Amino acid sequence: MELAVFREYLPAYARAALATLGIAALGIVLATAVGLVTAVVQYAQVPVARRVAAVYVELSRNTPLVVQLFFLYYGLPKVGLVWGSGTCAVVGLGFLGGSYMAEAFRSGLDAVEPAQTQSALALGFGPALALRHVVAPQAVALATPAFTANVIFLIKETSVVSIVAYPDLVYVAKDYIGTDYNTAEALFLLVVFYLLIVLPVSLGAAALERRVRRAGFGA
Amino acid sequence: MPTIRSPHSPRVAAATVTVLAALAALGGCGSTQAGDPVTSAPAETVTSAPAVTTEAPTTATGSFRSVADIQAAGSIKIGVFSDKAPFGSVDANGDYTGYDIEYGNRIGQDLGVTVEYVPVEAASRVSFLETGKVDLILANFTVTAERAEKVDFLNPYMKVALGVASPEAAPITDIAQLAGKKVIVVKGTTAETYLAANYPDFDVTKYEQYTEATSALLDGRGDAWVTDNTEALAWTKANPGFTTGITSLGPADTIAGAVQKGNKDLLDWLNAELVTLGAENFFHQDFELTLEPVYGDVVDPDELVVEGGQV
Repeated sequence: MELAVFREYLPAYARAALATLGIAALGIVLATAVGLVTAVVQYAQVPVARRVAAVYVELSRNTPLVVQLFFLYYGLPKVGLVWGSGTCAVVGLGFLGGSYMAEAFRSGLDAVEPAQTQSALALGFGPALALRHVVAPQAVALATPAFTANVIFLIKETSVVSIVAYPDLVYVAKDYIGTDYNTAEALFLLVVFYLLIVLPVSLGAAALERRVRRAGFGA
Repeated sequence: MPTIRSPHSPRVAAATVTVLAALAALGGCGSTQAGDPVTSAPAETVTSAPAVTTEAPTTATGSFRSVADIQAAGSIKIGVFSDKAPFGSVDANGDYTGYDIEYGNRIGQDLGVTVEYVPVEAASRVSFLETGKVDLILANFTVTAERAEKVDFLNPYMKVALGVASPEAAPITDIAQLAGKKVIVVKGTTAETYLAANYPDFDVTKYEQYTEATSALLDGRGDAWVTDNTEALAWTKANPGFTTGITSLGPADTIAGAVQKGNKDLLDWLNAELVTLGAENFFHQDFELTLEPVYGDVVDPDELVVEGGQV
């Protein structure tokens, strides 16, 4: 491996790392929003919406992101909907991540002892207030490890968005391999840059998990 | 549901970084000691081998097979395109077909072995050879100086320039018209290199697969697709509403098969084979069989075909 090659490639990798971070952040925000809505709809057993949520979760969890992206990018234009690669990447991540987030939140909600809700109701809380002030705070703490695992999972899943021509880290690495054939250097930088992005998130997640565990209630 | 304890700790992270640094040191980032098995690209190893080390050619990359090895094994592995009609594609029966495939079949026949076709992408052609995944690449491989540093090209069997395909409604007839427009290319093709070197300001979107690039053009994701003129002509002929507004762009290049760097035995055999084939006008027959149905009278065979390895 040649140091000069690394130096030449660094600026493009740095730009691509920002692009990767950008769609990862947007994708995670969208996934969290979708997940929250889905989990609450399922927890509160909202009539029709609950079935829709169940179908969505199965559809999203049982298809690969690559397939979802292909559908969004190459399939939708056939019905007249042309989204750019960035939009497809974020929607794809949100669609995939939403169901994983929903499951994380739902497991957190389910893990809160029913006695907690019953006690809150007995004390005169309405169902909404009980959810907001008694169940949700505990569920958030319980769901945190699963949530952070999903965040890291979604960051790593961004590595397939180059199939819809989004210029992320993999796109740049493959481009250099295809034009300069410096395969070793290009792949080594790819590993380094993903570690630079994911490692701090992992450490932050571990710290967060330790904090919320201390703040656990009851169980 | 049990919560899973995250295995991450600062200590684990530090260890990961250490391992990575060790890997980099092992790879000799920056150091260029001759004979180091990882730093030496195959190109260097072969030329420097007599002076420095004898263990070189097979270390960092996959090993290559001589003609005798291939004949003993009874089959040759040839990397071809699977999505690039009429040169290399898979037909409705799952069989490989096209101009490159006819050539590959004939090589297998004359070697007395069966041919095992391996589908490759444009950008993976060099690494498939370097890692010994295939013995030979016949994937419409344009000869360039950069590529010749990494692989050994045979003598050519075709010549080619770039072409530009665009919608008939908004045809691109001059390369200057592409300024400020969206240009589609396939990664690892000469079109990408040519645009990067000559028109660095163009807004270029790069796809991995030919089918992805053509889909993108069909869906209106770009104003033009720059690729080999042969591909542009073939594709626009099959896709009404699109035209090859520029049929000859950039330098005229040749297309040749390639073997792993240093596989002189196979290279010599294949170059001799080209002379044999030239004597019987093999590639003109190949053209009639595979290309003429596609190009009709748009292309004169003598503008495309190279016989005997001599341009």
